[in-house]
Amino acid sequence: MAIDRREAALPTAAPALPSIEEPSAGAPVAQASLWRDAWYRYIRNRGAVAAGAIFIIMVLYCLFIPGFWKIPGIWTSLKGYDPNGVDFSQSYIGFSLDHPLSTDKFGRDLFARTAVGGQISIAIGFAATFFILVIGVVYGSIAGFAGGRLDNAMMRFLDALYGLPYLPFAIITLAIIGTQNFLSMTIALTIASWFTAARVVRGQIITLKENDYVRAAHAVGARWYRILIRHLLPNTMGVLIIAIFLELPGVVLGEAFLSFIGLGINPPTASWGSMAQDGRAAYVLHPEVLFIPSLAIALLVLCANFIADGLRDALDPRTRETN
Amino acid sequence: MTTFIIRRVFWTIPVVLLVILMTFLLMRQIGGNPFRHTERNVPAAIQANLEKKFHLDRPWYVQYAYYVKGVLTFDLGPSMSQRDRTVNDIVKDGFPRSLKLGLMAFLWALIVGIPLGVLAALRPNSVFDYIAMFLSSIGFALPSFFVATLLIYYFSVKLGMFPTSGWPNSFWAFDKRLVLPAFALGLFPMAYFARLVRGSMLETMQQDYVRTAKAKGLRYRRVILLHVLRNSLIPAVTATAPLLGLIITGTFVIEFIFSIPGIGRYFINSVSNRDYSVVMGITVLTSMIIVVANLFVDIMYGVLDPRTREAR
Repeated sequence: MAIDRREAALPTAAPALPSIEEPSAGAPVAQASLWRDAWYRYIRNRGAVAAGAIFIIMVLYCLFIPGFWKIPGIWTSLKGYDPNGVDFSQSYIGFSLDHPLSTDKFGRDLFARTAVGGQISIAIGFAATFFILVIGVVYGSIAGFAGGRLDNAMMRFLDALYGLPYLPFAIITLAIIGTQNFLSMTIALTIASWFTAARVVRGQIITLKENDYVRAAHAVGARWYRILIRHLLPNTMGVLIIAIFLELPGVVLGEAFLSFIGLGINPPTASWGSMAQDGRAAYVLHPEVLFIPSLAIALLVLCANFIADGLRDALDPRTRETN
Repeated sequence: MTTFIIRRVFWTIPVVLLVILMTFLLMRQIGGNPFRHTERNVPAAIQANLEKKFHLDRPWYVQYAYYVKGVLTFDLGPSMSQRDRTVNDIVKDGFPRSLKLGLMAFLWALIVGIPLGVLAALRPNSVFDYIAMFLSSIGFALPSFFVATLLIYYFSVKLGMFPTSGWPNSFWAFDKRLVLPAFALGLFPMAYFARLVRGSMLETMQQDYVRTAKAKGLRYRRVILLHVLRNSLIPAVTATAPLLGLIITGTFVIEFIFSIPGIGRYFINSVSNRDYSVVMGITVLTSMIIVVANLFVDIMYGVLDPRTREAR
């Protein structure tokens, strides 16, 4: 019931928004309207808007301060800094206008380096989240849509995987791949954490499958793939968008953990985790070298959590976090 | 109920076998022969003997069967890089420390987190609620290695109240060295519990049966304690299994920072040393803990919420 979903998306106690017009009987429910409603609900949530703004600013900071791809960095070109360049005459010179976030042991400007590290951390975060969701959608929709024995077998397999502890699993995967770079980190973190996404998608598919419009589609002779692609998967979009911001913090933290204990991205390549590892060596005298990347991680995770909460209230106010 | 429990217990057997199989296959994928890449050149005959001793000359499924047999008889094999130590020795050495650290963290998370969530939910949007949720959002977002280092920086280095590292040898000994690691490890689960319980309390309080209970004139305290709490704590029970996984993950990092010789530290060292039998033993051990925790949670869930028994 598409209309039912719209109703579910309405806030229970709040007065109806003026922007929501009732669809006349028989008229197709416009998809855009759901998203527009969600948008209105989201922007009324001040915390979520602030979190979204900070999140975007952080991403822009990471991209444009040191530059990315072929675009020169604003800060690094202006000052002539190399985020990986060693200059011991500049080591630990503290906060100043030239180095707003001070420098580390090798005299590298932390304002630029935090941004470079952020590129890696956030890119790993989004890449792994993307693959987690792709695997989750494929696995979950096969299990949920097929049902029966196949579903049961696939879920039991997932149960077994749930038994594997996250960090050891990721570490072993990294050991199998044998290298520790962007790609292997993404793969390891994806493999270690796609289970929840698959479960969520399966649950959604199973609930949606029972809807009248699916039966109607079936009755008029729609093939299974059409039902799946046209009717079921679009309706999981809301959950998937929320899932992006639910998975992202876990992956970013996972990367940081692995790099921090020396099994992830290795110095001199910057990621927030490897920078924290750098900073740990001298935290007693120069705590800022550890604090800056850690606070960057914390801010990103905090924002992602608030965005996820806001999105959930906007798209799906009745579902609560259950796991 | 009994059938439910029995069926659920039996279901864990294939799960356990599958978990061991996954770990086993993963370890095989890493490749390399533990006896080949040593600095000494091992004569071919001795090499063959060694491989025979550890069944490395047999096909993988036979090796797997041997390994399962070993796990079931609590024999995880010898360590491949630390001479004269078996994996059992290492587990016996490190596991109690990790267990104690994990339990202490879990307990403080439970004891503080749940009341915090309950109190916040009883006064939604009050100052207390905002403060509690603000704190738990921060606890939710700060990486535990940062919390740990921050604690060491202020309480050990600046104030000198706690030692920076170390761990008592005896399982039952408690001293100051436990405080910081347990606090740092438990902060995330604490925040998790608080948020979870607050959310589910708020949701439960809007249920019809709660309104009925209020309408028929039950006392506020009775409504909360009997009708709301019981049902809103179910998600907290379900969350314990994934949280246990998180705590295990956390012990790896916390043990690394506080130099606690628990299994997490052994694990990290063994990965660098390519000591596969230790890596595998620890992975299987932690997996077993999670599997058993899942089993326990499912049974508890069945007890607390009878509707879920039929579905499984």
